[in-house]
Amino acid sequence: MSREPDSLENTGEDLFEDAPCGHVSTRLDGTIVRINRTFEEWTGLAREELMEARRFQDLLSPGGRIYYETHYAPLLHMQGSVRAVAVEIVRADGSRMPALINSTLRRGDAERPGEVWTSVFDATDRRGYEDELLRASKREQEVGRRLQRSMLSGALPSASELELDVVYRPAEKGMEVGGDWFDAFWIDDGGTIALVVGDVVGHGIDAAATMGQVRSAIRALVSTGLTPAALLERLDEYAWRHQVGKMSTIVFAELSLGTGAFRFACAGHPPPLLAFPGQEPRFAWGGRSAPLDAYGFDGSRSEAVESLPQGSTVLLYTDGLVEHRAQRLDDGMERMRSVVAAHHSKTVSTLLSRLMRDVPDAEHGDDICALAVRLAPAD
Amino acid sequence: MGVRTRNHVVEHGPQDGQPMLFAHGFGCDQTMWRYVWPAFAEDHRVVLFDHVGFGNSDHSAWDPHRYASLEGYAEDILEICRQLDLGDVVFVGHSVSSMIGVLAAAAEPERFARLVLVGPSPRYIDDEDYVGGFTRDDIDGLLQSLESNYLGWSSTMAPMIMGNENRPELSEELTNSFCRTDPEIAAHFARVTFLSDNRDDLSRVATPSLVLQCAEDAIAPEAVGAYVHDRLPNSSYVALNATGHCPNLSAPDETVASIEAFLAE
Repeated sequence: MSREPDSLENTGEDLFEDAPCGHVSTRLDGTIVRINRTFEEWTGLAREELMEARRFQDLLSPGGRIYYETHYAPLLHMQGSVRAVAVEIVRADGSRMPALINSTLRRGDAERPGEVWTSVFDATDRRGYEDELLRASKREQEVGRRLQRSMLSGALPSASELELDVVYRPAEKGMEVGGDWFDAFWIDDGGTIALVVGDVVGHGIDAAATMGQVRSAIRALVSTGLTPAALLERLDEYAWRHQVGKMSTIVFAELSLGTGAFRFACAGHPPPLLAFPGQEPRFAWGGRSAPLDAYGFDGSRSEAVESLPQGSTVLLYTDGLVEHRAQRLDDGMERMRSVVAAHHSKTVSTLLSRLMRDVPDAEHGDDICALAVRLAPAD
Repeated sequence: MGVRTRNHVVEHGPQDGQPMLFAHGFGCDQTMWRYVWPAFAEDHRVVLFDHVGFGNSDHSAWDPHRYASLEGYAEDILEICRQLDLGDVVFVGHSVSSMIGVLAAAAEPERFARLVLVGPSPRYIDDEDYVGGFTRDDIDGLLQSLESNYLGWSSTMAPMIMGNENRPELSEELTNSFCRTDPEIAAHFARVTFLSDNRDDLSRVATPSLVLQCAEDAIAPEAVGAYVHDRLPNSSYVALNATGHCPNLSAPDETVASIEAFLAE
C-alpha cells in the first residue's frame, strides 16, 4: 500500500499543531509569528490575537518577564539556545500555567530574518512537586533550628558569688543550624559549677542531634564524679561506641565558687581566656588533647587547674569568635584578649556584646558561641 | 585583596587611551558587552569587570551588608577607578548599573568625563504619579521566579555549545556560563535593584550623560528613560530602534553608533 504524497506533509503539519508541547515561533524581538494548537489549547489564547500582535515575553507573569529580559534573552543571544527555564504563562482567563521553556535562536541572514523557536512544556505537576521539595527543605531547616534552640535555652545557673552570661549567634549565611553549643549547670548544691562549650562537626538536624547526645552524655558523666580529663576519656569511649560526635571539640571546666579552683580540659578546643584583676588577660594553654574520638579512646586526656582570685573572669568560646575570612586565628585571639583587657571592669554581658560587636557581621560564615563567667569581686 | 581579582577586571586597548569602564546590569556578567567593547578598544583603555557575586568575581568577597544598597556597588566602581588609576572616565552602565554609575559620579564627579546610561531606571516600582512599570507584587513574583529556577540552576545555566555555528569563537568561552549566580546572591541583588529609589540622585550629577532608550523595554519603559533625561542636568537622549532591554546584545551596531556619536560631541 502506498501513501499519498501529501499525507506525509499532513503528518508533519499535524505533528506541529498537536505536538505534546506548545510551540511558539517569534522574531528576534519576541513578536509572535506562529503558534501551534497545543499552545492555544493550554493557554486559551487564540492565534489571531497573538500573531504579529503580542510578544512572547508579554505572555509571562511580570516577575517572569523581568527574568526573561535579564537572564533568558541575554543567554539566548549569547549562546544561541536556552534550556529548561521555569516561567509562568498567563492564560486568557488570567490564571497562570507553570511552564518550562526551551528556545533555539536561528540567526538571520540576507535571505531571511532571524527567528526564535520556543517549546513550552506544561510544568504544573512538576512545579507542585518542586514546591513541596522546597517546603520540605525549609521545614528541615526549621526543625533543626528549633531542636537547637530548645537545647540552648533554659535558665543559666545564678548565685550571688557569680556573674554568668552567654552569647550565641548562628551562622547567617546558609539556612542550616551549625554545630556550636554550650551548657552551664550546678554539679552540687551551689558549690561547683560545670561549664561547657563545644563545636560538633556538621550542620543541620544531624548536628543538632549530635549536640543533644554529647550534651546529655556529659551531664550524665558529671554526676558520676569524674575529673574533667577522666570525663573526656569516658566521653571518647561513648563517642566511639555509639558513633556519635567524632572530631567534635569541647572545653569542659569545673569552677569551685568557694576556692576559686578552675579545673578544665580542652579536647581540640581553643583555650579558655583568663582575666585576673589587675593583670593582663592570658590564655590557659594547659589541659590540652585531641578532638573527641580522634584516635578512638586510649585514656590519654590531660587537665589543668588554675586558681582564680575573686573578681576574675573566664571566657570560653568557639572558633567563630576568633577566626574568620578576614582574620587569622592568631590575630583574632589577640584581638579578643585586648577587648577583654579594655572592658574587664564592665559586666560580663557588656563584655560579651563588646566582643561580638567587633566581629563583622558579614564575615561570620560560622556560628559564634561564647560563655563568660566572673567570680564576684572581694568586698 | 585587589579589585582586579575581586571584580575580575579585564582590560583591552592602549593603556594611555581614555578609560572606558563598562558595567553590566542585573542578571549576567561582563560578557554582556562582548559585541560592544571591541569597537572602542582601538583608541580607548577598555575596562570590563563583574559585580561581586556575579560572573568570575570573587564570590567570597560578597557581603550582604556592603551590598545592601546600590551605594555599595558604586563604591566598588570608585575603588576600581582608584586602584587602576582611572581618570577622565567614560562610564557605560547597563540597566541597574546606569544608576550605580550615577551614584559613583555623584560621589566623585572629577573622575568622570561622561556617562552612558543604557536602559536606566531610577525606580522600578510605581509611586503616586511616577510610573516605574512595576508593582511590589511584581517584584515578589520575580523573587519567586528566581527561586523556582533554583532547582534547575545548574542544568539551566550549564554551558551550551549548541546553536553557535555562526560564532564558533564563542565555544571556548561557553565553558563559563554567563548568567550563573548563587541564587541567594541573585535574589539579594534583585531586591536591592528593584526596590531602589534613586530619583533624587539624578539632579546631583552634572556629568555629560547619554540616555540610550530601547522601544518596548519591559524593564525600563520609555517614560522612565524620558524622566531620567529630564532630571539629569546635562543629558542627551537617544531612542533606539532596538526593542527589549539589552540593545548591547540585540542591536550592538546601533548601540555602538549612538555611543560613538555621543563621544564625538
